[in-house]
Amino acid sequence: MKCSKAHKLISLYIDGALPERDVKTFEDHMKACHKCRAEFEEGMELHNLFTSAEKFETPFGFHNRVMANIYLGKIRETARIPVLVRLMEAVAIVIVIAFGILSGGLVTKGYSPDKARDAMASLSLDIFDAAPPGSLGGVYLAMTEVSDEK
Amino acid sequence: MSGYSDDLPLIDRFKGGDQSAFEHLVLKYQDKIYTLCRYMLGNTHDAEDAAQDTFVKAYRNLNNFRPEASFYTWLYRIAVNTCLDYKKRPFFQSLFRKSDEDEDYILEPVSDEPSPEKLYESKQLDLALRKSLGKLSLKLRTVIILKEIEGLSYEEIAEVIDVSVGTVKSRISRAREELKVLMKSFREQK
Repeated sequence: MKCSKAHKLISLYIDGALPERDVKTFEDHMKACHKCRAEFEEGMELHNLFTSAEKFETPFGFHNRVMANIYLGKIRETARIPVLVRLMEAVAIVIVIAFGILSGGLVTKGYSPDKARDAMASLSLDIFDAAPPGSLGGVYLAMTEVSDEK
Repeated sequence: MSGYSDDLPLIDRFKGGDQSAFEHLVLKYQDKIYTLCRYMLGNTHDAEDAAQDTFVKAYRNLNNFRPEASFYTWLYRIAVNTCLDYKKRPFFQSLFRKSDEDEDYILEPVSDEPSPEKLYESKQLDLALRKSLGKLSLKLRTVIILKEIEGLSYEEIAEVIDVSVGTVKSRISRAREELKVLMKSFREQK
């Protein structure tokens, strides 16, 4: 076996995946060739290092957090409003705002200071008689005026 | 990998509406998936997040799982893809993540064997191995972790990463070659 071929087979041999027919030739080459044996030994050393490498355990409560995430995800999915509904909501809001702007524009159309003054005057409480003559307040005022004259 | 036959009844129970069946699957595979994520990502926080994501994705897609494939290779495939997604995250997101490999080991008091020197040496080798793994390309890192840490066969790895068995063999061989060189350079630095 040539060194180049032996070199390619080292990894398979380490994994126990070298075909039976090649094992003997490979092992014979390793016995005979110092350079290839050194490479093989390095490979085995690395393999053994992996074997003793730390295997981790999940942090405390990992499994509960997975189930909680799944549960929360389900709640979010249930509560999720379809995109079409969201879109319709947005369109409705835009229509209401546009209507407000347009109707506001109609109200203020033809605005002048005189018109505004008239409008304010029509809202004044001065047009009302606080105590009409026949009312209780009117009688009371009439009586107080008579006593004042005396 | 043994114990796969136990998975199918659990999957059937889950598909039948039994949520606790999925919990059993999580408990069964959580350490393996977490270990894979630790070696793939190199830090505790990302590894836990990625392992969590793996199981949540598995839960969401388990109804589409076909029993022709094995459950654990399917789960490993989700885990590997999740880890690769974590590695592709924008640079700024990883700025505040400290790699566990940057931390030196703190020796805990040991009672009897092995001696503190031996233990220290073994921990240093483990650290060098993890640092070397971190320097490998993602393709090579994935195959060597699945082979050496998770103990998957060539065929199973091929199924997980969706390549041919020949590609798996050549990637494992290349990963070993590169690791040997990297380990040498770490030892020389010490």
